[in-house]
Amino acid sequence: MEVENNISMSKITTKVVMTLLFIATCLTTSAQQATVRQALKALQAEDLETAKGFIDSAAVHEETKDSSSTWYYRGFIYKKVYNSTEKSNKNSSARDVSVESFKIFLELDKKSELFETAYKSVKYLASTYYNDAANALTENPERYELAIINFEKHKQTMLLIDPNHDFRSLEMQFFLVLGQVYNQLYERDREKNTSFYEKTEDAYKLVLGVDSNNLSANYNLAILYYNEGVNIIKNLDYDLDLITLTLIQDEVVVLFQRALPYAERAYLLNPCRKETLIMLSGIYFSLNEMEKSQQIQMELEGIEKIGEYRELLKRVSGLQEGTDEFNNVQNKIKELIENYSKINYCSGIK
Amino acid sequence: MKRLGIISIILIVLLTSTGTSYKTETKQNFDTNAKMKAVFVYNFTRYIAWPEEYKQGNFVIGLLGETSITEELNKVAATKKAVNQTIEVKKFGSMSDLSECHILYVSSNNSGDLAAALQKTKGRSTLVITERDGLAAKGAGISFKVVANRQKFEISKGNIETRKMTVGAALLSLAIVVD
Repeated sequence: MEVENNISMSKITTKVVMTLLFIATCLTTSAQQATVRQALKALQAEDLETAKGFIDSAAVHEETKDSSSTWYYRGFIYKKVYNSTEKSNKNSSARDVSVESFKIFLELDKKSELFETAYKSVKYLASTYYNDAANALTENPERYELAIINFEKHKQTMLLIDPNHDFRSLEMQFFLVLGQVYNQLYERDREKNTSFYEKTEDAYKLVLGVDSNNLSANYNLAILYYNEGVNIIKNLDYDLDLITLTLIQDEVVVLFQRALPYAERAYLLNPCRKETLIMLSGIYFSLNEMEKSQQIQMELEGIEKIGEYRELLKRVSGLQEGTDEFNNVQNKIKELIENYSKINYCSGIK
Repeated sequence: MKRLGIISIILIVLLTSTGTSYKTETKQNFDTNAKMKAVFVYNFTRYIAWPEEYKQGNFVIGLLGETSITEELNKVAATKKAVNQTIEVKKFGSMSDLSECHILYVSSNNSGDLAAALQKTKGRSTLVITERDGLAAKGAGISFKVVANRQKFEISKGNIETRKMTVGAALLSLAIVVD
């Protein structure tokens, strides 16, 4: 997809450069306007360093600094620099300069024929910020700060062309992954990386603030608390004195209780998800609520028998009604439904 | 607009498909209650004093019936001592297998064997601990009990002292004393 983007962007760029040159040559010539024109000529000759030098000079000169076209060209040249030499740099300064220049252009001029191209360029640059934010998170968790910066830049850039843009859905996606990355960093060294525990918590809560029924955020937050409690118990020294043990027990019970509402919500959102059932059963168990834990364990067993259930349904459909084999398979199906009340629902059979 | 739309879709797929995998700690993987109980049991060896003649040889913890605490107690035995004594964990499948031990831990499923276990260990300094609550009042020395989601324990000072053991004040202060 990125390759396709590059080819089409390259075609657009050539056309646009030709158009720009044409427009620039039609401008009334003055020394500084000539500077802009020289920048565009250098751009056409793919001499990006020279183009940058001319357009930067025009951008600070009294005569041209208030001209919208100066900023448009600057945005365009720096976008070209970004695409040519800095595309793999997630911290590209050329891209920032390009966006900043287009921003000034959009503030100065919303009516010219250049507006549409600027609009598209800004949109494109915004998408590259988001791309880089996502890639930074998935390629290397340690680069989460850069991911956040790029995500913020994506938002700010999008707002230039769509001030009412709704980021909620995108933010949920981003913060879910960010939460997972924080958690990964926390798990690497729980003692050293304690701040990532809170960061993880905050990221999931932010998602739940937008959508309290987000399954992943509910599940992940519950498991964060649950795992924390389990880990504390797991690392208990056997000769811990009883008073300290009592205090630690209070602490872990609070963690399990904190996990419970999120786990129960995740269960309500999808009562057939195996991972949620395992976690919920574990939380009830750790809270010494054995009956509830057992009930969830039964449901988990039911989930594990879905394959068998489907197989039986398939078999029975090919058997003649009333035969011993038919009755035998039918009884097994009945038994499964009686023992595991959710088996039909969870198997997706209507 | 279309371009960004496609890019966004690709990115969303990327983000949702590359999430880190989570280990789900469950009782199948790790039994939190068993660990807590094991820490309590080891503490009992420190807060309860056995008569002199029991302070030689191995310190035997007997387990009557199947219980989830076994694995944890084996870890205790491998890494800790009861004062100076090596800890040995013995599993008793039934009453007939029962032999001399310092602690007899009666599993929840074997609670019905308590009376027989008390009879069989009568006159010995055996601390009888039950997994099921309410049994300290029925002859056991200590019974685990869940209170407000927490693992607590009931203690019968009388039952323990009858068997010539003494209970430390610190242990009593944290217990639910039934007599």
